[in-house]
Amino acid sequence: MNWRDNWRVILLAIFIAVSVYALVAPGVGGSDDAATNESLVAEAGGPTNLAFGLELSGGTRIRAPVDGQTAYEVDVPRETSPGQIERRVAANISAADASDVTVRLAQSANETTTVELLVGNVSTERFGSALDAAGYEYDRIQAGVTDATRNTIVRILRDKISQAGLAGGRVQEVQTADGENFVVIEMPNANQSQVEDLVTERGKVQVVAGFPVQGDNGTEYRRVPLLTQGDFSRISSAQDSARRGPHVPLTLEEDAARNYSNAMNEFGFTGEGVESCRYRDDPENPGYCLYTVVDNETVYAASMGSGLARTMQSGEFVQDPGFIMQTTNMSEARELQIHLNAGSLPAALNLDDGTSYFLAPSLAEEFKLYSLITGLVAVLAVALTVFFRYGDPKVAAPMLVTALSEVVILLGFAAAVQLPLDLSHIAGFIAVIGTGVDDLIIIADEVMAEGDVNSNRVFQSRFRKAFWVIGAAAATTIIAMSPLAVLSLGDLQGFAIVTILGVLVGVLITRPAYGDILRRLMTDT
Amino acid sequence: MVAFEVPEVDYTRYTNRQLAAIPLALLAVALLVLAGWYVTTGAPVQLGTEFTGGTELRVQTATPSSELPDQFDADVVSVSPVRSEANTYIVTFPPEAENIAEQARSNLEPTQACAQNPDCDPVKSVQGTSASFGSSTQQLALYGLGLAFAGMSVLVFLMFRTFVPSIAVVLSAFSDIVIPLALMNLLGIELSLGTVAALLMLIGYSVDSDILLNNHIIRRSGGFYESTYRAMRTGVTMTLTSLSAMAVMALVAYLFGIDLLASIGLVLVLGLATDLMNTYMLNLSLLRWWKFEGVAR
Repeated sequence: MNWRDNWRVILLAIFIAVSVYALVAPGVGGSDDAATNESLVAEAGGPTNLAFGLELSGGTRIRAPVDGQTAYEVDVPRETSPGQIERRVAANISAADASDVTVRLAQSANETTTVELLVGNVSTERFGSALDAAGYEYDRIQAGVTDATRNTIVRILRDKISQAGLAGGRVQEVQTADGENFVVIEMPNANQSQVEDLVTERGKVQVVAGFPVQGDNGTEYRRVPLLTQGDFSRISSAQDSARRGPHVPLTLEEDAARNYSNAMNEFGFTGEGVESCRYRDDPENPGYCLYTVVDNETVYAASMGSGLARTMQSGEFVQDPGFIMQTTNMSEARELQIHLNAGSLPAALNLDDGTSYFLAPSLAEEFKLYSLITGLVAVLAVALTVFFRYGDPKVAAPMLVTALSEVVILLGFAAAVQLPLDLSHIAGFIAVIGTGVDDLIIIADEVMAEGDVNSNRVFQSRFRKAFWVIGAAAATTIIAMSPLAVLSLGDLQGFAIVTILGVLVGVLITRPAYGDILRRLMTDT
Repeated sequence: MVAFEVPEVDYTRYTNRQLAAIPLALLAVALLVLAGWYVTTGAPVQLGTEFTGGTELRVQTATPSSELPDQFDADVVSVSPVRSEANTYIVTFPPEAENIAEQARSNLEPTQACAQNPDCDPVKSVQGTSASFGSSTQQLALYGLGLAFAGMSVLVFLMFRTFVPSIAVVLSAFSDIVIPLALMNLLGIELSLGTVAALLMLIGYSVDSDILLNNHIIRRSGGFYESTYRAMRTGVTMTLTSLSAMAVMALVAYLFGIDLLASIGLVLVLGLATDLMNTYMLNLSLLRWWKFEGVAR
């Protein structure tokens, strides 16, 4: 046996060995860092290093566009600040306040100034007329938000998911063929409503002071927002204590602490307002209350404590600005902590214009097992047909071994790069077995045509002829699949990628090796 | 070991017209079916929820299937039982339906086994697609198929550089897609992303055997019928192998209730059978005409 003549077989053997190693060796396939950051499922405890996608492991996937619209090439006078523009535009839209409008001034010649409206349910005409009324000319308004805003959303969502303790979650941006942008969130083992809550709530947390003032027509209530995300220098974990109930301990930034305690003193919270919130008993006439407001909904109303009031009056508070936000239950406290830590989303996702997918893990387990069996049965069918056709195990057995080794190499590759396998990939594997065996049949028929193969030269020339057909067929398959591999949007992409890879592995590695094996068996050299 | 041999067909007994008539007639019927479908339903094929928008719920419940639609606020498009599991149904809703999973969890009667297990969730899977997303997916799938087909055609023309053999491959690949599409309508298989994948796979499989036939006839020495027979022996084996694998896969996946794999398998079985006919009747007759008459002109 000659090394140089058999290098193709040796190459195949090396590939199979590496693939098997990637498949079963513990700790391979980036299970240390990739599994925690990027990959979908940390499939710990499984017998292989394969990563499984949602269809085979269960979980939730939400794919939705960002709720908002953007005006491009807006003409703004040079001296106006973004804040001014935001306020003027928001003033013309009843559903929005200044924080729902984002202005990005052009920084360089190739950029344009954009104005984004980050609330849903406002028509583009409405937004356009608001811009007109504010006196800003624009080129066009499109649904969706700018790349910068979308990147922020993706970053914050990643943060929120990791803080919610939902391990293995993944957030990505995808663009459809017609240029629409979607945010895709995939989370194993989470159910749909958990995920939906997390992504549809913008999570804007405010502390609002509500207090009575004597006006001309008797007592009126004023509400003044005092603190928001970004005013805290330290956010501790949510906890539950007997005295204070569920709460999140916080420390204020120095400036925020000074403003806050000044406001408290000025509004009377540290005087007559101490311990005088009656919100729960009498929401119409609550007295002096500090409201915790999430997405404009009051989740808790607290009184100013007498101890805290004293430190504010004396000015000690600014030196030691400890603060707590109370909630009614622990899960609210945890959610509050996530919102405080991750920050608020610039805009929510519009679930009505996307897709959602939930699969129970138990059903996914069944799918995994059943699709494995289905694949094996398909291989068995191929094997039987090939044996019946050739009646010669010398031809048929290596054919099967080669076709299977293609699948092993692909699985090894999938394990090594932690490609999350879904049903569409399984279909791709079966397609690969199909085309693989087809090509091996071409080789076998061509080589064995017209009598015995008795010399190496005859073999080589026949093998080359066969390879022209295989190469041509492989090229067409790759061309046919490539649009799908590139035109993203998930489901068919996996199938296309596996098929293309399979064809490449087949043409470059396994089929030449099969030729070598067959030659040894046929020429008896 | 029992070996089967691909039988040798005596093509000299049939004229080109006779050979091409059957595949072309079937193609025409298939196009008629698609056109008729388009006229009556507004789409040439039955689109699944991935393309039209809507929600598909898979649920295990003791509530009988006839009472299922009453348990939801939204209209129910269809309820179909899952064969592999008792008391399991797939319920389909139109795109505007909301909060399907919550309604299912609160309104449906859990099965006995489920009621005893606090972790049990009667909702096995929910798949929701909005109408706008569905239509953009539809477009994407159409682009994908179109581009794949165009790319394949260009490549085939580049490889053979002669009109008739190339168009023969393209025509038979076209027919390999259209006839299964029409059959899907007749058999009630919806077009989903999975079946689109199957149709794309068909392009690959179908071109395989066509290229093989062309290659043997154009580029090899030997008589036309001899080359044909050699190509057929290999090509039919190839197609039969794939056909048997896909038939078995369709059957097993059907029994297990994995609809995606079952429909991929079934579409491929239909397509591969169509391919046998197209390659060795349509493609062959075009090649024979080209070899014996077309070139002489």
